Amino acid sequence: MSVVGEVLAELWSMFAGDRRLTLLLLAVVAAAAVAARVLSAPAAVPAAILVVGALAVLCDSVLQAARKARR
Amino acid sequence: MIAWATAAPALGAAFAASTVEVVEAFTIMLAVATLRGWRPAISGALAALAVLAAVVVALGPLLDLVPLHALALAIGVLLLLFGIGWLRKAVLRGAGLMALHDEAAIFEREKARIGAGVTSARGADWLAGLAAFKAVLLEGLEVVFIVLAVGAGRGLLAPAALGALAAFVVVMAFGLVIRRPLAKVPENTLKFAVGVMLSSFGVFWTAEGLGIAWPGGDIALIALAAVFLVAALALVRLVRPRLAMANP
Repeated sequence: MSVVGEVLAELWSMFAGDRRLTLLLLAVVAAAAVAARVLSAPAAVPAAILVVGALAVLCDSVLQAARKARR
Repeated sequence: MIAWATAAPALGAAFAASTVEVVEAFTIMLAVATLRGWRPAISGALAALAVLAAVVVALGPLLDLVPLHALALAIGVLLLLFGIGWLRKAVLRGAGLMALHDEAAIFEREKARIGAGVTSARGADWLAGLAAFKAVLLEGLEVVFIVLAVGAGRGLLAPAALGALAAFVVVMAFGLVIRRPLAKVPENTLKFAVGVMLSSFGVFWTAEGLGIAWPGGDIALIALAAVFLVAALALVRLVRPRLAMANP
């Protein structure tokens, strides 16, 4: 692979190496954006969606990897 | 004048993250130097640093053109993706579900890989220089992203860049003195800490980008870091005994 190809692959893996993790995190951000911008919810609501959502995605990803490791 | 309490998280995150990346780049530079001498190693590294400097010079002014909220949102989302990914790997390594980063093994593997591609002395120098170039460029790109991400938006580029520069100087000075792979650097502990900090920055910036003001301003970063740290440590404990029960 060329140097440019390796750089692009590295950049891709930095942010989207795990497709499920990436999609779930983007869904969390989208949900927080809808709460903040569309529903005009109090600031605590989108903030809580972001914090709890990010933690839930982390848990999901780690538990899924642990299940795979046990197989 | 930037308040220390505001600058410290950016400086600390950039220093810790850059230490990890510079250690990884140094290992490959050392493999190159061991096989072909320091000349191709340093030439390759300097060429990569020149490319990275060009990237920073090209991208830096563009950041000023982006509205602050849009910049915070974009950086926040990228930091969230990057930080949670790092934290996930650090938790899995901490729980023994993923192999720890082994600088000594990487050093031997790189030496074998560069040695296998050698067909002539001149070709060997070129191949060795290219290996050093790629290592410094790829690891350096992560450093550039981290510095821009934790520093942009709040005028914290200087402390973030200082953190990265300090990591570069410390690792290179230490590495050049001992001239061995830096296998004793607690890389996973650093990655754990960096994952916590980058995830916290990610949530913080994403919310700011959405127009949400945090209670306590920048102090909220510390609370977020505490939440991510406790959750990540709990996850390590949660998945570790499960593995022990599965493989008694």
